[in-house]
Amino acid sequence: MRTWIYLGVAACLAGLGAVRYGAVPSSYDAAAWQSANPEDGKVADGVFVSDYFDLSYRLPEGWTEGLAGPGPTQFGYYVLGTWAPKHDFVGTVLVVAQDMFFAPESSEAKNVVAEFRQAMSAVDGMTIDSEPAQVSVGGHLGYRIDFSGVGLFRSMIAIEIRCHVLTFNLTSQDPEFLASLVRSLDNLASVRKKTSDSVPECLRDYATSENVVHRVEPDDVGAKAVSIPVRMVVATDGSVKHVHVIRASAAQRRNIEEALRQWKFKSYVRQGRPVEVETGMTFNFKPANM
Amino acid sequence: METIKLTRARAHAGLAAMLLGSVAWSGGALAQTVSTTSPNAVTTSTTTTNAATTDAVTANAAARGQNNNSGGASSRSGATDPGVRGGDPGAGGALPGLNDVERQYFDVAKEVFQEVDAGPDGLGPRFNLDSCSGCHSQPTIGGTSPATNPQVAVATLMGAKNVVPPFVTANGPIREARFVRNRDGSPDGGVHGMCVIRGRSDAVGCNIAQPNFAAELARNNVVFRIPTPVFGLGLVENVSDGTLEASLAANAQQKRGLGISGRFNRNGNDGTIARFGWKAQNKSLLLFSGEAYNVEMGITNELFQNERESDPACQFKVTPNDSTPLVSEETASPSASFQSDIDLFAAFMRFSAPPTPASATATPVAQTAPADQTTGTATATTGAATATTGAASGTTTTGAATATSTLMASASADASSVLPAAAGSSSAQSSSAASSGASVTRGGQVFSNVGCQACHTKTLTTEKSPLTGQSNVTIQPFSDFAVHEMGTGLADGVSQGSANGNEFRTAPLWGVGQRIFFLHDGRTKDLYEAIQQHASRGSEANTVINNYNLLSRDDKQSLLVFLRSL
Repeated sequence: MRTWIYLGVAACLAGLGAVRYGAVPSSYDAAAWQSANPEDGKVADGVFVSDYFDLSYRLPEGWTEGLAGPGPTQFGYYVLGTWAPKHDFVGTVLVVAQDMFFAPESSEAKNVVAEFRQAMSAVDGMTIDSEPAQVSVGGHLGYRIDFSGVGLFRSMIAIEIRCHVLTFNLTSQDPEFLASLVRSLDNLASVRKKTSDSVPECLRDYATSENVVHRVEPDDVGAKAVSIPVRMVVATDGSVKHVHVIRASAAQRRNIEEALRQWKFKSYVRQGRPVEVETGMTFNFKPANM
Repeated sequence: METIKLTRARAHAGLAAMLLGSVAWSGGALAQTVSTTSPNAVTTSTTTTNAATTDAVTANAAARGQNNNSGGASSRSGATDPGVRGGDPGAGGALPGLNDVERQYFDVAKEVFQEVDAGPDGLGPRFNLDSCSGCHSQPTIGGTSPATNPQVAVATLMGAKNVVPPFVTANGPIREARFVRNRDGSPDGGVHGMCVIRGRSDAVGCNIAQPNFAAELARNNVVFRIPTPVFGLGLVENVSDGTLEASLAANAQQKRGLGISGRFNRNGNDGTIARFGWKAQNKSLLLFSGEAYNVEMGITNELFQNERESDPACQFKVTPNDSTPLVSEETASPSASFQSDIDLFAAFMRFSAPPTPASATATPVAQTAPADQTTGTATATTGAATATTGAASGTTTTGAATATSTLMASASADASSVLPAAAGSSSAQSSSAASSGASVTRGGQVFSNVGCQACHTKTLTTEKSPLTGQSNVTIQPFSDFAVHEMGTGLADGVSQGSANGNEFRTAPLWGVGQRIFFLHDGRTKDLYEAIQQHASRGSEANTVINNYNLLSRDDKQSLLVFLRSL
């Protein structure tokens, strides 16, 4: 089994030539990341920037955003972006994120890749070219698998950032081009200037009666038989600092936000100091007759 | 011995229903709530007719830039839809293994499914067609929209004076029209029947008017649905929720690598999975039948008791129009003799066999002409052949070339990438058939590798069934029966149950080889175009379509061949 180690080196692609990229411009808004949501990333001037994930990536030269994907799902799954060449359609990059709080299956990058490997190996005509192996991409540790079939060569790389597993899914007709595309991921960089900007502690199932000291139920509204995932950031004083209703109708969103802003948690203490917590919970609206 | 009539001795001469799978009901005990979430209505330009393969619906969407697949450009690269697979329909019969009683029940149900309704039966006063089988007829009874649209003829049947709206044409798909919003801006989403009974000789005194389609089209407020095939649906009905949930979860990691998720449209009354109709809005085949009988034909029944148009001058039968007979109707099936129409419609669907695919190595199968890019006429054999013979490799075409409804394998640009040709032609067919079989096999791999099967799940297994020989049957519907976000290009702005205006159920692909019109509104006859239409802003299928567009020409073609083999 080969281990792919990418140490976050800068792009030195002379001689490879297939994918070129440069430094990422600094456009960081210090306040933005605190209230950002996972789906808020966007491409501007050829650079994908996600304040929530503290991530930037300069697209390969001549590439652009493809068609936007669907909105977030009830399981906290996001299509963050699809990138492809403007001309000469030779490959694509799809970036998705899975919220660890709502993942129906494994919520660790290693397991995600292992399960993905199992799924791919069961596909008729698919070959596993490189078994899952640990890698470092743009300074993030993760796991990579390579596979191919029907003339398409693909790599999937999973890394963990802020309560989510991000996967980069790269596809090309040309294995060499795919390799250069993978290398381009070393261009992943941080958008934050100050490392002192702390990231909330990710805690699954924190919104329980054990930790919630004041709770207000949202009004039940809209479609029945739906599960509404909600991500929230709890401040050091136990108040709800940020609410992100991941998928719901406008009325449901409004009601849930109004209710959650009245919630009060116990302060979460780590190493003797209160810290912010990011957690998730699901509101289940059952059919009226059940 | 008294001869028992197969067709029931009914007071009303003929009955039927058209099951476009539809309706906007709110607050009903059985139906799910319908609301409209976004005004993404598409309209039909009067300057474009259904003569185009991809019709005005798509043209309109494209005009709004909805299908601007930048960064993932489609390249046909010579890939061509082989066209509607001809030959034996391989569908329309009863499930194999049924006992005699069940078979008799099915036979009567099928007869009733074909009956034509009129005023004394309760037809209308608003309707889209006057029989089930009129809509569900391609490639045989129980299928989908035929090549010749019967809506044109029924518009003026028996003296009716209906004006055929521009979205219904003689060679276009059968369509039901829905209005996205009401005049006051509130959600509509319901079906508005194309025809009224005014002017018919069996509806004297009724003076209601057709909907003002021109005005609604002008304000971009009309969306369409075409009939869904009903073959094999009893088997689908008998797949447990647990099986569907497990199937959806089984390839979750693969789906995540493709940008796909999907969810079920659950019934608002009991929370179980609804699975019938374009948005999986209908829980059961009985509900499907009852709804369509009322909405598409205007015939009230024991599930949908009340007339949608209550003008007393237009009612020619007691309500509900269809009800359970308390006296035997003396059919060939004692069981069927005490059944209402909607019970028998449901029975026809429940007892019908699924479509049979053309085996990759089996007897050659005739083909009709490929979808024609300029005429959109499935029977334009000559034009299609002309379009594809240029690269023919000299394979002998004797025999099938004389058949107006068949097309030789060699008439394709690539003999190795079309289905086996009609029987009775030259010996070259054996090698052609073999290579075609290889192409089907390769196409199956392409189908799986690019990710089609992530949603178009190949197999499911039924649970225990009360029908003989139907327990624990493995079926191949090529659908997960979940709803998926399909993007702005396909969005119709109509919500049904928990499915929103962008979501559609994964269309089952069994039998797709013999369908003429594709996608929920029948906007294209071209399978290649139907694939491309899966990609638009917000669609879960974008990456799969990108994968398809990265394929070689041969592999693109093999997928089309594979699909036409189903």
